[in-house]
Amino acid sequence: MIRRRFPWLSCLVVVTGAVLTVVPFLDMVMTSFKGPGESGRLPYRFLPKAFDLSNYRAAIDQLDLPVLFRNSVIATTVITASVLCTSSLAGYALAKLRFPGRNFLFRLVLSTMMFPPFLFLIPHFLILVHWPLAGGNNLLGRGGAGLTVSIAALVMPFLVNNFGIFLTRQFMVSIPDDVLDAARVDGAGEFTVWWRIVLPQTMPVMVTLGLLTFVDAWNEYIWSLLVATANPNLMTLPVGIQLLQDYVDPASTLPIVMAGLVLSILPVLILFVLLQKYYIRGVVLSGLK
Amino acid sequence: MVNAPSPATTERAQSQRSAGPVAGRRGGTRHRRHQTVVACLFLAPTLLFFAVFLILPLGFALLLSMSHWAGFDLGGIRPVGLDNFTRLFADGSTFLVPVLTHTLLFALGTVVLALTGSVLVATCIDRLRFQGMWRTVYFLPIVTTVVAVGNVWKYMYEPGGLVNGALNTLGLGSVAFLQDPDTALPSVVVVQAWASFGSAILVLTAGLKSVPASYYEAAALDGAGPVVVFRDITLPLLRPCLLFVCITQFLTGLQSFALIIVMTKGGPGDATDVAALEMYQQAFSYGDWGTASAAAFVLFVVVLMVTLAQLWIFRRKGEDA
Repeated sequence: MIRRRFPWLSCLVVVTGAVLTVVPFLDMVMTSFKGPGESGRLPYRFLPKAFDLSNYRAAIDQLDLPVLFRNSVIATTVITASVLCTSSLAGYALAKLRFPGRNFLFRLVLSTMMFPPFLFLIPHFLILVHWPLAGGNNLLGRGGAGLTVSIAALVMPFLVNNFGIFLTRQFMVSIPDDVLDAARVDGAGEFTVWWRIVLPQTMPVMVTLGLLTFVDAWNEYIWSLLVATANPNLMTLPVGIQLLQDYVDPASTLPIVMAGLVLSILPVLILFVLLQKYYIRGVVLSGLK
Repeated sequence: MVNAPSPATTERAQSQRSAGPVAGRRGGTRHRRHQTVVACLFLAPTLLFFAVFLILPLGFALLLSMSHWAGFDLGGIRPVGLDNFTRLFADGSTFLVPVLTHTLLFALGTVVLALTGSVLVATCIDRLRFQGMWRTVYFLPIVTTVVAVGNVWKYMYEPGGLVNGALNTLGLGSVAFLQDPDTALPSVVVVQAWASFGSAILVLTAGLKSVPASYYEAAALDGAGPVVVFRDITLPLLRPCLLFVCITQFLTGLQSFALIIVMTKGGPGDATDVAALEMYQQAFSYGDWGTASAAAFVLFVVVLMVTLAQLWIFRRKGEDA
């Protein structure tokens, strides 16, 4: 209505909003090209004097970017693979298998989705530090550094995702039982039914779930920060870049930090732009973000 | 089939049946028992995870919230009853004021800003061309790590940054956004709202699409102005979506502290200290795990009350319809 009466006004609002959204990203990219002493100087200038790639080289060297990338990639891949696997297995059991306590379990999955993540922060950390027989711990979980010695610490609390189970279960319920029964009559075991019949049909929802999980895991900050304080070798991209920003003189390192940030958000941005249809559907379904 | 029988009843049913005639059904019971075994296998990783990372932590957190503990040796946990909770609410404690009030202000400010902004943009974007492109643009902050968002905005708020540069160009003086205790919290709220804007627009545009075009046409025939149409047609029909955005954003606002860690670490002074951050620092900076766990539970109760209010409101809305 407003659009029809005042087309220029609604266009103006949408464009202004889009500009406000994009400008911080552009500022980040521009700053990443600025030379030493060029950023933070008055008066403010948006464009750099020259598009110099030296900050990107410095970011790769000073930030130890290869190591950060390696940790982020390993953690994100393991989490995504695990969530996809556990969600589809559990989702299948909850949707298509009959066993005592099925509804109770499904209700448990739903209700625990309401627990806020900060409640688990402290206990999760303590459980990992006191993990029995890991990192020099004895059977009672004392004496060593626990699981914080290995990259498992980064991924453990994210291996199963309640929302993922819920999503796959809802999707699998709609697959007709006749198809599964036909396969069973032909002698297929439940595992074969899951792998050969159910999984191929749930591919779209798997892509959505995988993408959501990947983006969340890649961007995860608080837990990775905790793990990195216990073991600096396990720093991920967000943690490592934030550390450089915190401990070195911001005026001189800011362009390097920005260069590191640009490199660190690029993989996710590319993935999002390519597969945004799936991502946005996931956000609509989860309704959480 | 709502409730599958427990193993005991299955057993009994089978023995009864073996006495009775229906021989074909015995295969069904065996099939069912087989399915239970398979289900256990399929659910094993999830159940194991639930035990270690869901039930154990909840118990642990509850135990810690009623104990004094300085970290390290698990043997040093000393039960103190509700001491941690009473100290949180005692006179002179900063937890209620300003920490919890900051938390509420932070959440409320984010909701108000994100909601007004997204309603404005969503009503304008509706049925505009290039919707996919606008959606991509507005969604960029959501897939960007909080470290990037926080640092870019932190730099933009600096005296030599973009925001002050814009103010100076307009002939206004510079503002020390994050260094001044009066402006620090609103400044962080703006960033949080900026970052959560895209999803609100997404939900609202979906809601607007469900408003039948005939309503608008009828209103146009009656000669209703855009303000009247917005107030009497768009807003009432959009109410479920608005409520949804409002409550989910409020919940997120109550819990989130990553952005504040990145941008201000709660400072200057305690101007941007929020409950989740306070919990985090009590545990990992000051080593007071008991108080930290108690604070987590208090915040959890606040979040739970908001969630229950949400369910209640939605249920009432359902009865209205």
